Amino acid sequence: MDWQALGLSVKLSLVTLFFLLPIGIFFGRWLAYRQFLGKSILQTLLALPLVLPPTVLGYYLLVIFSPNQGLGLWLNKTFGTTFVFNFEGLVIASIIFNLPFAIQPMQRAFSSIPRDIREAAACCGMSPAHVLWKIELPLAWPGIISAMVMCFAHTLGEFGIVLIVGGNIPAETQTIAISIYDRMQAFDNQSASIMSLSLLLFSMLTISFTYWLSERSQKKHV
Amino acid sequence: MKQHSVLNRLKAGIVALILMLSPLATAANSPIIAAASSVKFALQEIAEAFYHDTGNRIRISYSSSGNLTRQIQQGAPFELLLSANAGYTEQLYQQNKTLGQSITYALGRLVLITEKNTSLTLDKQLSAIKILTETGNLKRFAIANPLHAPYGVAAQEVLQQLGLWESIKPHLVVGENVAQAAQFASSGAAQVGLVSYSIALAPALQNRTRTLLIPASLHRPLQQTMVLLHNAGETSKLFFIYLQQHKARAILARYGYSVPEE
Amino acid sequence: MSDKPNPDLAIHISLQQQRPIPLDVQLDCQPSELLALVGPSGSGKTTILRAIAGLYQPENGRIICQNEVWQNSVQQFFLPAHRRHVGLVFQNYALFPHMTVLNNIQQALSEIPKQHRHSHALDLLKKVHLEGLDHRYPKTLSGGQQQRVAVARALARNPKVLLLDEPFSAVDQVTRRKLYRELLALRKKLAMPMIIVTHDLEESTLLADRIALLHKGQILQIGTPKSVSAHPVTATVARLMDQQNIFTAQVLDHDLTAKKTRIHWLDRILEASFQPQFKINEKVCWTIQSANVLLHRRDRPSNGDKENPLHGKVIEYMESSGLVNMLVQIDKELNTTIAISVPLHVSKRNGLGLNEIIGISLLSEGIHLMPYQALRR
Repeated sequence: MDWQALGLSVKLSLVTLFFLLPIGIFFGRWLAYRQFLGKSILQTLLALPLVLPPTVLGYYLLVIFSPNQGLGLWLNKTFGTTFVFNFEGLVIASIIFNLPFAIQPMQRAFSSIPRDIREAAACCGMSPAHVLWKIELPLAWPGIISAMVMCFAHTLGEFGIVLIVGGNIPAETQTIAISIYDRMQAFDNQSASIMSLSLLLFSMLTISFTYWLSERSQKKHV
Repeated sequence: MKQHSVLNRLKAGIVALILMLSPLATAANSPIIAAASSVKFALQEIAEAFYHDTGNRIRISYSSSGNLTRQIQQGAPFELLLSANAGYTEQLYQQNKTLGQSITYALGRLVLITEKNTSLTLDKQLSAIKILTETGNLKRFAIANPLHAPYGVAAQEVLQQLGLWESIKPHLVVGENVAQAAQFASSGAAQVGLVSYSIALAPALQNRTRTLLIPASLHRPLQQTMVLLHNAGETSKLFFIYLQQHKARAILARYGYSVPEE
Repeated sequence: MSDKPNPDLAIHISLQQQRPIPLDVQLDCQPSELLALVGPSGSGKTTILRAIAGLYQPENGRIICQNEVWQNSVQQFFLPAHRRHVGLVFQNYALFPHMTVLNNIQQALSEIPKQHRHSHALDLLKKVHLEGLDHRYPKTLSGGQQQRVAVARALARNPKVLLLDEPFSAVDQVTRRKLYRELLALRKKLAMPMIIVTHDLEESTLLADRIALLHKGQILQIGTPKSVSAHPVTATVARLMDQQNIFTAQVLDHDLTAKKTRIHWLDRILEASFQPQFKINEKVCWTIQSANVLLHRRDRPSNGDKENPLHGKVIEYMESSGLVNMLVQIDKELNTTIAISVPLHVSKRNGLGLNEIIGISLLSEGIHLMPYQALRR
């Protein structure tokens, strides 16, 4: 078991979650409650990573953040930072790649809150922020947790995009999925199988948890 | 309220975990070196010896030489490149991405490789394989990707020299780098493959495969070159020198490389 | 409480819009008055209620409640719902499912100091006869109980207007009757204007002081339930008020001495009450409530039988809760029928039933004339 790679993967997942939680809540809620011009375009864009091959996304991220031109060059010159072949680049790629996994379940969770309950809260004198905190989040949190768990598991298993945007750099971008790949090429089948089995079990746990949570929340408030 | 405290606890937990794992990033301050997959096993040993002798740690990222070169062009933070040919390091030199010119540190060789207990006969003209193609019994032949792996280019050259390229081409299974190609052949996913001698000598493969050295005349010389990149630090420069010294050369020789005279 | 309602505590509403549904209404509701917005679905009643609550912003509107401006589109001013003091009882109650009954009510008590909220909420629960249920969750309550919690929560807000959106539609008949009584009892203690939306005419007649009949976003008539029923201004209103007896006729003349207006209907001449606003020979519509259609009792003939006498065959005969509702066919060719209802015992004593020929009288006071319009069949 490559503990360094596992730790890196866990860290990547947690940092991704840290950003995706507010992003997911914001967009999930906005899309659940509002109609506006261009909504379907936005929804399409946000859902794109579901079907987009990781290589395509990876390619575009490399092009955008390459320090030889454009945005990447400016970032490098102004702040001395790059977002390619390092952990920060992986975080960005991971956030984009997980957007639909975060936003869609949260959007469902928010839209399943009956509109008249939110309106009743307003009639009770609660400001929109209050309604969010006291009514919406408590009712939506199973969906939010589900979304976060899915994103965590999904990030843990990311391969193609990590390889392209991050390369295969130990302790920087060598996540556990890549480490498995690495071990296979080093003919170290024992390590590869231990790590694969662990990830398999973890994925099963994640899915079971998500299903259990959604069943439980359905029964709770009906 | 029940839901509030669950949320709060979750948030606190996440922050704590992130903080706990941060040291991982700082421990990774050792320089990163890019190396062709073909030199993987030899280089691991050399890096160990380097640490033993100097106390310095390095991190190594393996891929095909072409892929690594592209990454360097796109801003990857490597400090030293070990390429399986002369072309890529030369390219980087021309692009002013290097500290000085590259040097050839070894010459590589190709081998035919197959699983230990297959009935396939390995010979230098690949005649047994030729028969397989003629009888339609050749399923898959593994090589590294000629587009960006020098050992793949060499494999193609060998097959072309033997007049087998066209007939074998439909059966090729191409590895993203030569280590992957070796993995295909050694696991039986491909019946046979053409890979680097250095990988075939890996301890892990000794008991699982049969190999045959291919005459160097069948392909252009596989010059293993290395070059320091423009952001190279002290440790990388040290390693660059170390690779040219006696201990490193001995290890390279054990992995089938011919090393230039000292 | 003062006897005369204070006009400053009234609510004044004026709304106009084209989209998404056309609306053009003006209404007031006085303190302690219960106004019912009645009409078929799609007529805009719920939209109006939501606009009053601040949950919806119509293109043009002016809403002033208790001298506080809630919306003035001319000045581009709109106060959102949470800043208005409205109590809204939703059709499906909209109780917060993750909170206890007590907690639900407390959400509306933010303006009361924390230490008093608990007892205040308990008081409200008492008011709606739900003591002891404070720790229960909404899903464990019956429909009637949920409705009462919703009312308590609405009142907790100390609202300047109480709004109820079809609050009885989700419960069964028996519970509904109980809740009517409770609402009527409760409103005696309330000083604010109350507006209820309903599509149930009987409900509005029972509960409301005044009803506003809505149709396609416009108020066709406002008045007491009695007056709108007995004196609809148009045949459309009569139809919406579920009148069955709507016909067309022609004005013959006005008798100034007898104070009657005579109309020509089918082949007959009917005497209606004096309604000189309609010109001679003018085509009109007329209606009569079935309460003003009298049966010629075979067992007890009376002088009233002479008023606008008609006879016809009973072609429909339906018993329901002690009453018999009949349709009497006056003219076979045109299939003109008049609806009449009599108590069950009267029907029995007179041997009434399907296909019986009976005599009826139309009380002239009950014949109400309206401007002519083509009637749907």
